[in-house]
Amino acid sequence: MTINRREFIKANAVAAAAAVAGVAVPAQASNLITSSDVTKLKWDKAPCRFCGTGCSVNVGVMDGKVVATHGDIKSPVNKGLNCIKGYFLSKIMYGKDRLTTPLLRMKNGKFDKEGEFTPISWDAAFDIMEEKAKKTLKEKGPEGIGMFGSGQWTVFEGYAASKLMKAGFRTNNIDPNARHCMASAVGGFMRTFGIDEPMGCYDDIEATDAMVLWGSNMAEMHPILWTRITDRRLSAPHVKVAVLSTFTHRSSDLADNSMIFTPQTDLAILNFIAHYIIKTDRVNKDFVNKHTNFRLGNTDIGYGLRPEHHLEKKAKNNGKTAGGSSPINFDQYAKFVSTYTAEYTSKLSGVPVDNLNALAELYADPKTKVCSFWTMGFNQHTRGVWANNLVYNIHLLTGKISTPGNSPFSLTGQPSACGTAREVGTFSHRLPADMVVKNKKHRDLSEKLWKIPNGTIPPKPGYHAVLQNRKLKDGELNFYWSMCNNNMQAAANINEEAYPGYRNPKNFIVVSDPYPTVTAQAADLILPTSMWVEKEGVYGNAERRTQAWYQMVEAPQGAKSDLWQLVEFSKRFEIEDVWPQELLDKNLSYKGKSMYEVLFKNGQVDKFSINQVPTDRLNDEARHFGFYIQKGLFEEYASFGRGKAHDLADYDRYHEERGLRWPVVDGKETLWRFKEGSDPYVEAGKDFQFYGKKDGRAIIFALPYEPAAESPDAEYDMWLSTGRVLEHWHSGSMTQRVPELYKAVPDALVYMHPDDAKQRGMRRGDLVKIVSRRGEVQTRVETRGRNKPPIGLVFMPWFDASRLVNKVTLDATDPLSKETDYKKCAVKVVKV
Amino acid sequence: MKDMIKIGWQTLKKPSAYFSLGFLVIGGFIAGIIFWGGFNTALEVTNTEEFCISCHEMENNVYEELKTTIHFSNRSGVRATCPDCHVPHKWTDKIARKMQASKEVWGKIFGTINTRDKFLAHRKRLAQNEWTRLKANDSLECRNCHNFDYMDFTAQSSRASQQHSTSLAGGDKTCIDCHKGIAHQLPDMKGVEGW
Amino acid sequence: MKTITKNLVKTLLVSILFTSSVFAAEKHVATLRGEVNIDAQKEPSTIANTLNTDIKQGRNYPMQPPIIPHKTRNYEVNLNSNKCMSCHSRNRTEESQAPMVSVTHYMDRDGNFLAEVSPRRYFCNQCHATQKDAKPLVENTFIDMHTLMKSKITTDNEH
Repeated sequence: MTINRREFIKANAVAAAAAVAGVAVPAQASNLITSSDVTKLKWDKAPCRFCGTGCSVNVGVMDGKVVATHGDIKSPVNKGLNCIKGYFLSKIMYGKDRLTTPLLRMKNGKFDKEGEFTPISWDAAFDIMEEKAKKTLKEKGPEGIGMFGSGQWTVFEGYAASKLMKAGFRTNNIDPNARHCMASAVGGFMRTFGIDEPMGCYDDIEATDAMVLWGSNMAEMHPILWTRITDRRLSAPHVKVAVLSTFTHRSSDLADNSMIFTPQTDLAILNFIAHYIIKTDRVNKDFVNKHTNFRLGNTDIGYGLRPEHHLEKKAKNNGKTAGGSSPINFDQYAKFVSTYTAEYTSKLSGVPVDNLNALAELYADPKTKVCSFWTMGFNQHTRGVWANNLVYNIHLLTGKISTPGNSPFSLTGQPSACGTAREVGTFSHRLPADMVVKNKKHRDLSEKLWKIPNGTIPPKPGYHAVLQNRKLKDGELNFYWSMCNNNMQAAANINEEAYPGYRNPKNFIVVSDPYPTVTAQAADLILPTSMWVEKEGVYGNAERRTQAWYQMVEAPQGAKSDLWQLVEFSKRFEIEDVWPQELLDKNLSYKGKSMYEVLFKNGQVDKFSINQVPTDRLNDEARHFGFYIQKGLFEEYASFGRGKAHDLADYDRYHEERGLRWPVVDGKETLWRFKEGSDPYVEAGKDFQFYGKKDGRAIIFALPYEPAAESPDAEYDMWLSTGRVLEHWHSGSMTQRVPELYKAVPDALVYMHPDDAKQRGMRRGDLVKIVSRRGEVQTRVETRGRNKPPIGLVFMPWFDASRLVNKVTLDATDPLSKETDYKKCAVKVVKV
Repeated sequence: MKDMIKIGWQTLKKPSAYFSLGFLVIGGFIAGIIFWGGFNTALEVTNTEEFCISCHEMENNVYEELKTTIHFSNRSGVRATCPDCHVPHKWTDKIARKMQASKEVWGKIFGTINTRDKFLAHRKRLAQNEWTRLKANDSLECRNCHNFDYMDFTAQSSRASQQHSTSLAGGDKTCIDCHKGIAHQLPDMKGVEGW
Repeated sequence: MKTITKNLVKTLLVSILFTSSVFAAEKHVATLRGEVNIDAQKEPSTIANTLNTDIKQGRNYPMQPPIIPHKTRNYEVNLNSNKCMSCHSRNRTEESQAPMVSVTHYMDRDGNFLAEVSPRRYFCNQCHATQKDAKPLVENTFIDMHTLMKSKITTDNEH
């Protein structure tokens, strides 16, 4: 026996692996295939399908199938890296249960709300949709129609949807799932700067001295940005990382200063830092005097619950006054924040004084360049806009903004939350390029660019995401189309709102998705949808980078893109069906036209010939409609922002570049906005100019700490926070279908402190239910996983379709942004 | 002062005038038992986990970290308490360790590690003390439970059985060489061999 | 006999119709939930064990990061230490016999090779994960490029 131990193990392993695979081990390895016409892969670039980081990915195609993906080395965002999800992108389109035919709930050959899903043709699907939409228009008018869209829509899809709803159906009841994600960030930007989206960019990471994470577990949620932060921290040892969270997680592993605070007290910590800067006399007076104003915001603004809720009745400024503020001066502001001493803040937040001081010093020290990063911890917060305002305060007080390495940076969760939801303006109150429906000038301009009659766009903001579910339940929103999202798994409190809303017999619910999701199961009609590189697309990431990709493979037979669905459906309506007589009487030229002709075959969207689509390229939509529809929609949309600090390059250029950061002026992208020299919109001699505000000054807001909508009490004795995990993206409808990702994290567990478990007679793996005032969910206890909550808090991710934690969560929102707080509600955990 | 010591010594030196020799021997024996028993009981009290974690320095740092590890919770429920790993079982070693511990009392009084940050600042030194001790005694406290002679390599993963059947068996490695950080978080490992 | 056959045919037809209607129409389409209404829940499965086979799993394509075929409970990767690299770094593999991290791990953002693993690759679990002993809920029909190539060669041979 000469075989040594290692060889023995190796031979065993091979035999075992062969046994698993069910194949005999060949005596000789098969010949290598070397012929280049067989081994050649067709490579193309596309942005990743998942988060808002916006990595570029190389996609390898063979025989019409995606067979490989890897990080694009030419992309400045990720320079060849992907996270584990990104590396498995190749498999997301190939779940065996891809939908390939429309499914309608039917009984006895007819639509029946209680019927079973039955395959029907696309024609029959549009027939029933047309019937239901027309019935709703007749009975309720445009307000009975609504759509729930997505920060994962391509730019053209979001734009076409917005136009279809706001100009075609004349309803503002369109909102994207970005409402759950970015709305507070938008509110913060608009309130402080008067213009949306970050002033800085990812290049700040390589230029900074300190990075502070506020309610953001970037190690799991923005892994590739985390590689850049890790790179910076470890390769430049003077760099410090501070991590604030309500529980310990993977980002804490890199933290020099890890702080666990009591939920909601981030507001106090932010004010403490402002106080510390003032107290230690480190205010950048020159900057503050020249470039800022101070205002005192209204307080006691409620919690965005239904108006009859006792908390709403009690709130003083619940309603139109919630966003109000009045001018104050520096001294008044200084006095306002002086309540937030280190001792007071430490007592409130549970963070030791030393840690608070060390954190504040990073901001206060004029020699330290500092970046703040935040995501859902700030945004999904009943005072989310405030939290955003407050972090800008500390960057403005010190003038640490808009220069390399000094950057308050709001990260995004979805691949095109910025590009589509925000820039295109698919929110219920918005229009493209930061314009809003309430503003007559904005409506007028939009109507002119859309070549539709004056007065077409309704002035009243429509139903936002949470309100849509309430209106569905109340039977006021009757024709509802959900596209490119999984809201039955995402929306808070589905037990009381969304689920009864979708199943309300008055309503007809259409869900477009590549896969049969939880939302699809709650629908009446499911439309099979193509995804990612099965269509041409444009996404915009968190650093204002617009990226395009070509269609690379065919969608499964029967599946159609969201763009095809939206535009094709518009053919079903004469303009007389959707616009009132008086609008048509004043504008005779529209009479007798279809909605498709008015919105999409309008001489602009159909301006670019099909010949401009490269002949060797797939493009199902362009070839179907007979013109380069993606380019037409993009160019019409781009006309809203050009010359208004939202400039985009020509469409074709995006197919050449690894993205460009807007405003793109004279062919050049903009890295730091509001700073002379790096932003072409800043006038000469101004140094800094926050041109979103008329006087060019950003606002420093005095806003207090206010308690959460629901806090633990004697019965519901724990905080519940929800969130994501690295291996799954959002609701898991793509990643749960990739075996490797599924097996990495198959189920959503409840993460709990071992002492909390012990006190309740529980141990790891026990079957428990999490119970709130609204519902319950069962899962298993995890006491030693990647997330380590403090005593009194539990965390459960929401990717698991079989364990819906959103039956438990509270649909309280920030009254300013209407964004739900998924991070705080009171629950009890009991053994089943 | 000098006189007082002198008188005291002379008293002790003088034979007893009141008690019989037998009484003194038996009484001394009994007193010895009581004293020794008390000493040992007190010693044993200091050898319990409750005693260890009665100091918040231990409870909030090392004990908190232990809770998620395999030495705290595992399939068979056999768990290691602080003294299992950190107090030698042999009496002489135990006493030596206890004398060392007087230094820890000093540390407690002066608050050397009374905050998390202070603890972390001292962590490497403290960990190295334990590694050195375990290296020197061939991981004696590990081996009190994990007896090499009774390890079933076929029940181990192939990685583990490979290492145990070679390096550990041959004596070129001892448990602590590979299993640093098995029960508590690691300090900065820069410069530590094998890292 | 005739009636029996007739009945049998009838039963067969009914059962065929019934099965096909089950295939054609279903109430529970959400594959990841199983046959459960949204307002109900099936009992959560137990926590699956982490696979600890030490057997390398094949890769779907050359660029795929390998999955971790062993347990990593309490492995620390943080500012203080990187447990993974105590076996997988270049200067540790001879002793550990673990596979060395790929050469790409030594490259910085600009593609230059460094003397040690690049800090951007420091957190191993951003790309590598262990696998639980759980059966995927939905099959994946991804086709390996090798399968495609082989079928091409076979087709070529046939013609």
